[in-house]
Amino acid sequence: MKKRLISFFASVRLTIILLIMIALVSILGTVIPQQYGPGDTVTHLSPKLVDIFKSLQLFDIYHSVWFIVLMCLLYLNLIACSIKRFPTTWKLFTTRPSLDRSKPFEDLPPDNIVMIEGNRNEITSTVERLLQKRLKRFRKKDTDEATTFYGEKGAFSGFAAYVIHVSILVVIAGALIGSQWGFKAFVNIAEGESTDRVYVERQSGLKKLDFTVRCDKFSIAYYENGMPREYRSDLSFLKEDTVILQGPLRVNHPITVNGIRFYQANYGAIPGGKVHITITKANRPQTHMTVYLKDSFSLHGDAAKVTVERIEENLMSMGPAVLLTVHSPDATLQFWVFKGIEKMKRAIPDLLDKVPKFNPGRYKPYYFELNGIEQTFYTGLQLSHDPGVSVVAIGAFLIVAGFLVTFFSSHKRFWVRVDEAEGKTRIMVSARSNRDPVGLKRETEYLLRHIAARDTARLA
Amino acid sequence: MIINTTILSWVTFIYFGSAVFYIFRLVTGKGFWGTLASVTALVGLLAQTAALIIRWFESYELGIGHAPLSNLYESLIFFAWTIVLLYLIVEWRIKSKHVGAFVIPFAFLSMAFASFSPNVNSRIQPLIPALQSNWLISHVITCFFGYAAFTLACGLGFMYLIKGLERAGNAGSFLRLLPHREILEELTYHSVVIGFIFLTLGIITGSVWAYSAWGSYWSWDPKETWSLISWLVYAAMLHFRFVWGWSGKKLAIMSLIGFAAVLFTYFGVNLLPGLHSYF
Repeated sequence: MKKRLISFFASVRLTIILLIMIALVSILGTVIPQQYGPGDTVTHLSPKLVDIFKSLQLFDIYHSVWFIVLMCLLYLNLIACSIKRFPTTWKLFTTRPSLDRSKPFEDLPPDNIVMIEGNRNEITSTVERLLQKRLKRFRKKDTDEATTFYGEKGAFSGFAAYVIHVSILVVIAGALIGSQWGFKAFVNIAEGESTDRVYVERQSGLKKLDFTVRCDKFSIAYYENGMPREYRSDLSFLKEDTVILQGPLRVNHPITVNGIRFYQANYGAIPGGKVHITITKANRPQTHMTVYLKDSFSLHGDAAKVTVERIEENLMSMGPAVLLTVHSPDATLQFWVFKGIEKMKRAIPDLLDKVPKFNPGRYKPYYFELNGIEQTFYTGLQLSHDPGVSVVAIGAFLIVAGFLVTFFSSHKRFWVRVDEAEGKTRIMVSARSNRDPVGLKRETEYLLRHIAARDTARLA
Repeated sequence: MIINTTILSWVTFIYFGSAVFYIFRLVTGKGFWGTLASVTALVGLLAQTAALIIRWFESYELGIGHAPLSNLYESLIFFAWTIVLLYLIVEWRIKSKHVGAFVIPFAFLSMAFASFSPNVNSRIQPLIPALQSNWLISHVITCFFGYAAFTLACGLGFMYLIKGLERAGNAGSFLRLLPHREILEELTYHSVVIGFIFLTLGIITGSVWAYSAWGSYWSWDPKETWSLISWLVYAAMLHFRFVWGWSGKKLAIMSLIGFAAVLFTYFGVNLLPGLHSYF
């Protein structure tokens, strides 16, 4: 029973089945929208189906019980396969093949046999020099009728596969360390505000940091064509009211504090903000004001009251604008004041006639100008603490190293026998390899060519 | 139109010509067409290299300098470039021009898609914050060399299957002129190995980048997931060969399945929501 269990776990068939299942589950995860935060799942599925999907953890497949079970099975499978096969590899590496064996030379293709005229002893020593130069762990056995040589190349390559598989285990172990002892969290902080509590992913409730994060300023820089060039949060990290670290946080440039990495992940405008406007009445000095959203002010020498109804960062792609309502005893007027109205008028000369609502001088005899709007932003920070990263990195590095050895070397073993036949000296070359038949053929042909030419002297 | 895109749209036609010449070579068996095809492909590659360098310079003149590897247009162009480069190296190593008929058309298609699809914007655009990283170049280069090697493997696998149609009766057919199946199989295997190593490096460089950009070296983003799926398909293929001793037709079919996964990783993922949306 125990044996059967082991052979079940150690089978490559299981590996393949697991790989296919992991692949299929992964595909499922890219088709079903994944979400793991709190909040409602937005789908076009019926509520009943949503419940079924939820109970099967299909909205969080990569952290579901059964995905983890698959990974654990793969883990066990890799370990079992390695343990099962290792003794064979070890034996292949350590055993010295007997030089008495005749099997390597049975059924040898004619191409692998060279017949040359000449003294056998002389040829034997030439062959010996050649093989010693080309092969490692070289051995030799003399008998009366023949001399047999053995040599090999790349014996270590048999271990590379273990390096790769163990490295994959190391990567998975690193990922488990990260998920067990690390965390991912996020927090939004408004400009000027600070916090020491963050929302941890996949958990309800807040986590308290042992320091405070303050967002001093959030800013966006744009390219000329309007695409964002930089998102930047100026952050201060404080411990008991002393700043321990301060700096700009940008995308691709995380900041690490006490082992926690901060990332610029998101941002947004806080509803509200304020506007700077200038009011001109014919023949009177201008008035400059700063008004908050929904606030009202009165006009000099007039009974009307003006309210800031809306503030738009970029209205209809024509830049910042503010919607004003003028309540006068006679009427109520509403119009937009664009910051770039002069430019718009140049582009469309009859704009104000066509769209009176865009006329900043609609309430005569006053004229409004928008000098700028001030938005308050919040910055969306992502936090992560992952003690498994270095383990994953080491594993990844070893995988690549293992690949290079596995794919670019192979264990090539050669038996060469020099004897006499039909009055000539006969050299037979038998070659075996665990893989890379082309490389083996190339090496064999090389040996045969040089033996046939007997120009081994030139090899040095 | 800026000079680099003009050159690149010409390169599209050059690769088309080269593909046609390779097919002539294959069907007629005349060496003249093969030489013409190789020379045409080489001219295309050189012109394309020049265009890429010019594009790089132009981006600096616009004040937004970055390597031409930052959007779908540029990635398609680079894909074609890696395919032709890798193919010409293989042609030079194996001294056979038959494979070109099955590989250069991919380079042409990629160029044509980039140049003529209305959905692909050929303008040089500045880098959005997420792409402003030193890992951009190494990630894109490793991934696309991987893709190119898999393209080669797919072309070779297809050749293997076509070669399998050869019968004693149709001795006059061009199938007879194709390389031996053992050679095709060996080449397919080597292409897959090269692609597998580059894909692994691409996933690793991508993870390192993600670790500094997204807060996690692995987020199960659809593109990441699909690159893992492609990786698993080729890993399975290598095990079929190493452990089960699969060969021939089965492996050729695996190289086609793997390429389908790679194509989905490249294009199909854009249909799914995710972080790689700019590619």
